[in-house]
Amino acid sequence: MANADAGRQADKRPLSPHLTIYKPMLTMAMSMAHRITGAALYLSVALLALYLLGLGLGPSAFAAVSWIASGFFGYLVLFLFSWAALHHLLGGLRHEVWDRGLYMDPKGRELMVQATLGGGIVLTLLLWIASAIAG
Amino acid sequence: MTKFDSGRLGRGAAYVSDPSGSRHAKFMQLSARALIPLGLLAAWFVVGVAGKSYEAAHAYLGRPFPAIALIAFVAVAMPHAAAGAETIIEDYVHDDALKRRALAANRWAAKIVALAWVAGIVLIAAAK
Repeated sequence: MANADAGRQADKRPLSPHLTIYKPMLTMAMSMAHRITGAALYLSVALLALYLLGLGLGPSAFAAVSWIASGFFGYLVLFLFSWAALHHLLGGLRHEVWDRGLYMDPKGRELMVQATLGGGIVLTLLLWIASAIAG
Repeated sequence: MTKFDSGRLGRGAAYVSDPSGSRHAKFMQLSARALIPLGLLAAWFVVGVAGKSYEAAHAYLGRPFPAIALIAFVAVAMPHAAAGAETIIEDYVHDDALKRRALAANRWAAKIVALAWVAGIVLIAAAK
């Protein structure tokens, strides 16, 4: 566990520049989006675990959890879950590319950000269309 | 200059390097790669269950392939999520005692979620 704030001496050291110091940029927004979607996926997997447990326990238990995957709220949960999953997945792929030193120049990184942002939305729509076709 | 206490938990904690970071990063990278196919499969089966009745959802997820894919997904996704949440907690929770408690709660929550998920799938698939 990194524990950099221990000790009174830590209070006197200069702070490293944080979000408020920088001009807002798309790459920064996407970095935040990666964290937010990651945390949201944790919560939605917890919610879906509840749904699966209810489905496994029988019809009466299922009645208590069916709101997670049906009705307006259920569709909203599943839609946001699928978008967050695909967006977060593409965010990981973006870092795989950047880890190799590619697309790190100003134009390249903007392109990567736009591709992952747009790609996440497009893939989510394609997933729902394909799922509707497959029944 | 403060007297140097060695060890992570002593007063020297702020001055020593903590090499656990590279293990953490490697784990995130490896589990992320495994989650490319597993996450896509999970998203597909989760979306497939949208609006389904009890019988339909039960039959849909009780088949061998979706059941195995969803168990494999959560087995990798929860350790990945726990490690990610650990970073978030370390970044934003500054109170030492609260941080310790939050980190412990995170480890337990991840295990409980994974267990509930797997138990659900096993019950669904076994009842078929």
